[in-house]
Amino acid sequence: MEERGKLNGLRLLRMYGTVIAAVLIVLGFSVLSPSSFATLDNAVNISRQISFLVIIALGATLVMAVGEFDLSVGAMASFGGVFSAKLAVQGLPLGAAFLIPVGVAFIIGLINGWIVTQFRVLSFITTMAMGTILGGFTFWFTGGTTIFEHIPVGFRYVGQTEWVGIPILSFLMIMLTLIFWFVMVHTAFGRQLYALGGNEAASRIAGIKVGTNKNLAFAICAALAALAGILMASRLGSAHPTGGNGLFLPAYAAAFLGMTSFKEGVPNIWGTFVGAAIIGILANGLTILEVPTFMQDVITGVIVISAVILQKIGRR
Amino acid sequence: MKKIISLLLMVVLVFSLAGCGAGKTAAPSGEPAKEGKTVAILTPYLASVTTNEMVENLKSQVAKRGYKANVVDTKSDFAQLASRMEDLISSKVDAIVLVSTDPNQLKDQIKKAQEHGIPVFGCDSGYIEGMVMNATSDNQAMSRMVTDYLFKTMNNKGNLVVLTHRPHPGVLKRTQELDALLKKSPEIKIVTEQQVQVPGPIENARQQMENLLLANKAEDSLTAVWAGWDEPAIGASQAIEAAGRKNIVVVGIDGTSQALDMIKKGSPLVATVKQNFPGMAEIVVNQMELVFQGKPAEGTELYAPATLITKENAGK
Repeated sequence: MEERGKLNGLRLLRMYGTVIAAVLIVLGFSVLSPSSFATLDNAVNISRQISFLVIIALGATLVMAVGEFDLSVGAMASFGGVFSAKLAVQGLPLGAAFLIPVGVAFIIGLINGWIVTQFRVLSFITTMAMGTILGGFTFWFTGGTTIFEHIPVGFRYVGQTEWVGIPILSFLMIMLTLIFWFVMVHTAFGRQLYALGGNEAASRIAGIKVGTNKNLAFAICAALAALAGILMASRLGSAHPTGGNGLFLPAYAAAFLGMTSFKEGVPNIWGTFVGAAIIGILANGLTILEVPTFMQDVITGVIVISAVILQKIGRR
Repeated sequence: MKKIISLLLMVVLVFSLAGCGAGKTAAPSGEPAKEGKTVAILTPYLASVTTNEMVENLKSQVAKRGYKANVVDTKSDFAQLASRMEDLISSKVDAIVLVSTDPNQLKDQIKKAQEHGIPVFGCDSGYIEGMVMNATSDNQAMSRMVTDYLFKTMNNKGNLVVLTHRPHPGVLKRTQELDALLKKSPEIKIVTEQQVQVPGPIENARQQMENLLLANKAEDSLTAVWAGWDEPAIGASQAIEAAGRKNIVVVGIDGTSQALDMIKKGSPLVATVKQNFPGMAEIVVNQMELVFQGKPAEGTELYAPATLITKENAGK
């Protein structure tokens, strides 16, 4: 009985280690900077800042759940932002300017998935190439310049408005996180994705449509990446041809950090959320503490490596 | 147990790393010292030689007045730029200087800074409403200086390669001036305009130039290269030298030490315009002092005069 209790304690720690680390980081920053970091304003700040990262990382989590990678998410975010801003400048209704790029991204994601499943090309290569193609289109659309002239005021609404003191972006982030948590845990589709990631051959024998499911995972991932880029453009009131590229590596860092919590060694939605939050809180807190940028990179890297090592220690 | 210890170690490590980054300058509590003024210097392009020079100049000017400088770099990431600016506003710095940044992408944040009473200055950035002022070289005048010189060297005819990066506001103005001057010189033909990748402009320009040289092997197929700033000019010049091609001249803008050195020694790079970075930094800090004293700035766009550098005066 006692043995069992101890095991559960360890298990709990193993499952929530990353969450505990996040809490400790927040406490640490709060002690070091009570008047700037530990304020409601700054909490709102952080929630807005991490919203893009969370949204793009949710998609990455889905693709990782089926055992694949999508390296085009950063380029897709830039593409989505620029495409949407262009449409808005052309005078399309804002709903269309937001939704058309997401739809196009969904189709591009399906193409990614189709190439991977149909021709058994490594997703690494397929999506890397797709990212390059998207980067090319983005530069073509923009001539390399930032789009900010003639963007209608309404385009900024979603990115810059707060409801009851909370940014719409933060609401969207929470809503999408809840939706995808539900999808991954409580629907057949989600469970099939995990089954595929666990053992593709067995899933195939069990009658799971491998191709369809994977294609959908890629498509959703691409659509979320484009959405993140569009929201970013809305927040900045402008679209930069490489604006979303910087989200790519942090998105995977978040998903990998997330794999160390809740569901051990498995990409999972809440884990990704906490992972993205850690990355965002570190960037915010370290800037407030006036830690030089190079040191921030060192620290962020050390954290990701430590978290992954921690998980291995816990497993022994 | 092991897990708990490792977790604690990780968090301790993070804060000690954060400490050694901030420690030297921060007050013992970790909160930034509030007696003196803190000036945040924010840029996405610290890796660029010219931006770096400007930041160094700003730092020394700021230190001279007894203020504290805090440099934040986001490595070409514009979404992060917005986030970091919000963090700086949260941390209640006394002034923010945007270096080589298009302020149009930070409209919302500039407004927020204004609401919090934090003055925002531009150093080679651009001026938009909400900022105090921007100090820059007159990019149009500089471009005219070097382009006139180049066209004279070309006898107003020939084939021109343009290496530029239109997303950068200053480089855009230079390129637009080139566009205008080209209209007046119809015998100068554009072979191609290439967008140089940032970061890594020297290497990227070098590769692009190598390819263009291969594609245009005939003696007179290329007459000159116009580069939007010195780094691509250096790369292009290196490629021309390595290929052993004569009679192709290159011009840049900025007057970096490497460019000056090449002009002095005799290379395809024949001219550049030396920007007055110390002058710009001085203008910004002078205006900042006025604002701190409660006086208005002397203007919204202030120019530091530039000089054309050719072989005749490169050594001086």
